[in-house]
Amino acid sequence: MKKLALSLAAALALALPAQAQSKYPERPITMIVPFAAGGPTDIIARIVSENMSKTLGQQIVVENVAGAGGTTGIARALTATPDGYTIAMGHLGTFSAAPATYPGLKYDPINGMQTIGLAGGTPILIVAKKNFEPKDLKEFVTYVKTNTDKVNEAHAGVGSVSWTTCTLLKGQLGVPKLNSVAYRGTGPALNDLVSGQIDFMCDQIVSVAEQVKAGTIKAYAIASVQRSPALPDVPTTKEAGLPEYQIEAWNGIAAPKGMPKEAVDKLVAALDKALNDETVKKRLLDLGTVLPTAEERTPAGFAALIKRDADKLSPVLAAAPKQ
Amino acid sequence: MSEMFANLALGFGVALTLKNIALCFTGCLVGTLIGVLPGVGPIATIAMLLPITFGLDPVGALIMLAGIYYGAQYGGSTTAILVNIPGEATSVVTTLDGHQMAKQGRAGVALGTAALASFFAGTVATMVIAALGAPLTKLALLFGPAEYFSLMVMGLCFAVVLARGSILKAFCMIMLGLLLSTVGTDLETGQERMTFGFPPLSDGIDFAVLAMGVFGFAEVLRNLENPETRDVVRTKIGRLLPNWDDIKQSIAPVLRGTSVGAILGILPGNGAVLGPFASYTIEKKIAKDPSRFGKGAIEGVAGPEAANNAGAQTAFIPLLTLGIPPNAVMALMVGAMTIHGIIPGPQVMTKNPDLFWGMIASMWIGNLMLLVINLPLVGVWVKLLQVPYRLMFPAILIFCSIGIYSVNNQPVDVAFTALFGLFGYLLIKLGFEPAPMLLGFVLGKLMEEKLRQALIISRGSFLTFIERPISAGLLLVAVAILVIALLPSMSKKREEVFTE
Amino acid sequence: MSLNKIEAARGWRIRSTQDLGAGLFMIALAALALFLSSDLSPGTLRQIGPGMLPKAFAWICAGLGALLAFNSLRYNGEKLSGWSWRGVIFVLGAAVVFGLTVRGFEIGPLKVPQLGMLVSGPLVVIISGLAAEDVKLKELLIFAAVMTTGCALLFKYALGLPIPLAPWLLGI
Repeated sequence: MKKLALSLAAALALALPAQAQSKYPERPITMIVPFAAGGPTDIIARIVSENMSKTLGQQIVVENVAGAGGTTGIARALTATPDGYTIAMGHLGTFSAAPATYPGLKYDPINGMQTIGLAGGTPILIVAKKNFEPKDLKEFVTYVKTNTDKVNEAHAGVGSVSWTTCTLLKGQLGVPKLNSVAYRGTGPALNDLVSGQIDFMCDQIVSVAEQVKAGTIKAYAIASVQRSPALPDVPTTKEAGLPEYQIEAWNGIAAPKGMPKEAVDKLVAALDKALNDETVKKRLLDLGTVLPTAEERTPAGFAALIKRDADKLSPVLAAAPKQ
Repeated sequence: MSEMFANLALGFGVALTLKNIALCFTGCLVGTLIGVLPGVGPIATIAMLLPITFGLDPVGALIMLAGIYYGAQYGGSTTAILVNIPGEATSVVTTLDGHQMAKQGRAGVALGTAALASFFAGTVATMVIAALGAPLTKLALLFGPAEYFSLMVMGLCFAVVLARGSILKAFCMIMLGLLLSTVGTDLETGQERMTFGFPPLSDGIDFAVLAMGVFGFAEVLRNLENPETRDVVRTKIGRLLPNWDDIKQSIAPVLRGTSVGAILGILPGNGAVLGPFASYTIEKKIAKDPSRFGKGAIEGVAGPEAANNAGAQTAFIPLLTLGIPPNAVMALMVGAMTIHGIIPGPQVMTKNPDLFWGMIASMWIGNLMLLVINLPLVGVWVKLLQVPYRLMFPAILIFCSIGIYSVNNQPVDVAFTALFGLFGYLLIKLGFEPAPMLLGFVLGKLMEEKLRQALIISRGSFLTFIERPISAGLLLVAVAILVIALLPSMSKKREEVFTE
Repeated sequence: MSLNKIEAARGWRIRSTQDLGAGLFMIALAALALFLSSDLSPGTLRQIGPGMLPKAFAWICAGLGALLAFNSLRYNGEKLSGWSWRGVIFVLGAAVVFGLTVRGFEIGPLKVPQLGMLVSGPLVVIISGLAAEDVKLKELLIFAAVMTTGCALLFKYALGLPIPLAPWLLGI
């Protein structure tokens, strides 16, 4: 009842327009996560939002609105009133790949939203079954190109991170029509990779790192600028001879366009503070996440990242064979 | 063997601190209390309760989660028995005979049997995990897409046996379930299928929405029509706990259910879902009088509930040893572990032995708590049936509405459930039983996925299903089940025609 | 009951309106599915397309429906029983009202404001409660208030679910 009274008071305070502006946030903020609870984006959202809540002095409530590869939840967040009380944690798929993958998309991530900042990037690995013939990435490239009919690639369904990143890889290798096997989620796909039913896949480091360490599958390369401390022996794509394959499954915060500048600034500052917090840092690093640079933590830097990856992915995804 | 006991001792050493027992107890209690709400299935329960474990240390959090998991599972069975609403696929079977028992005034016995059977199965499954967890992982790896497809075909053959009355109508329901499962975005091409271009349908039909609709809402409509039958439930309370006769009748089904459930639970890709159906099929087939099934046979509760809990527990094996979540609930558990900085995988066992064995020990403690909490509560649950129906069904409706809403935070889902309620009511009026449809629906998605995977891998050759020995064996069992199921009705038909 | 209660066919007439209805229902659903999946490619065995299984299942449904309808002309069975509109309208209507009002809804010209659980909760209890023949209005109103308060405390405060309570009044 006390809380109810408090929120009643908050609601009354909101009715006074002059004060409302200067005191953001005055009530809990909803952070929409467009995937089910427990997934990589949800975990990053919960770790970051917990600390941001402390800074802002108001609870950030995570609301999981799953559906249509995350586009349902993002669409809901971006069409909400731009008052700073509805924000969203989206990822590579929902912000950069979605316009090319979902023709009827209800939002425009490039021009139609207010970016806040990047929360973390998860590197992508090219992994294969442990007795797959090619020994390193160079051999892998030649092998895939010469054995297009023999190789099986797995992904977690159209629109998923593994599909998006692997489609980019196949596009760059010039083998868009490789046999590709769709799974419902990376878990079952990984199972069939471990048992050798399929040959290779691209996936986020957090899902595959433990398998690589245990030697049940092998990793050819990590598609980021630096090696990951979680898997120091895996070379980067640049080191291994495929420098153009650079992609990260990042997660970042955005909000509806047109929200007050004060709210944007406070959220940006709170996100930056969270990412500098030792506990948050450690938890994110444990997940194999790469912490965003100072530039990527700003609205402009994050927007540039979205645009860069959209430009990289759109031609490949649009040309991807849809049987 | 001695190593296993040493490991278990380590585990119990971790789990049996006062704090961890309290956490396990709290988790189990809260899990049961939330899971028992109609319309709030185990997935919703665990998702709702996940945040309360965030503030704990990893071991404590996992122990509490295990408690929540078992509590939610049992809470789901309770709703299935009392109000005929299965919270998830595995409790569909429990509605068949469990709810009938409740209607006959034996709700307490059904709940007690379910709790005892679950406890027994849980104990055995804990031992299985402790002793064979690592070697059993290999079983999971033997199952590729072709084997899965054959397993699903076998599962669909089980569904035929679920039929009460017409086998033809049961076939109709299975096919309808399969058809409904194909609604939504195609996994491979991203094309929308049969969605009317309506975005909320693009992910297909949610199991909770379909189950609450055709079971929960339609059941309310059916009860409103026949005030007499539901009042019987209210006047007769009967015994609260199973007596010796009930237990004697249940022992063999529980043993069989436990083994079937434990084996199927290990398979990744939600093999656990088949456990209760397989157990029910077996019990109905070997029963002296199969016609008792569907009318309140205690074996139809004891066997499937044991299979359900055994499978629910051995489903941890692929998660703990391979790091691969076999179903939606386990995917949630992965999320929970990851939040606490533990990434499940082949190395958890060696890197965090106290956590690994502590969790296994807490599974058993969780099962014990389930019994401790629920046997006294059986009386309370049964008393709930005495609430006048005119108040009970509005309560069911508000819980269902909130429960369905909170699965995806999508209000449209509630309206969809109402639509499926209408659909379910129509099915009742047309003399269809919805249980086989739900099984068809659950297996349909997996079956299509696996069929397509298998055929891509085999480059379009159907022989792959026969050439692979496990797959061929499963298909043989499927054919055998069908023949056994169909022969009696065929021969009966002939007999009756001749006697005319 | 069509396969179990069997009588020799003596002349063609409708012997079970329930089975006939069930058969026609299956055929109608199959036809709808075939219509909706008509633009989906069936693909080849090597690369099964999105349309193959829906179409196959629909054809089997249609076949089973035809068999069911045919049997209803040969074998005796149950009759169709009455349909209770009162239950359908109030019970299902209540759920639909909850879905439309809890977060608000916008479909074409129809706009429903976001009322939140403190309004949608009592609505769902009261509307559905009217379906009972022995409804007592006063009792139902009190029950609605109690249930809503209980649910708000449980789901919103104890469990912290992001379900709106009354955004137009409380801002949450």
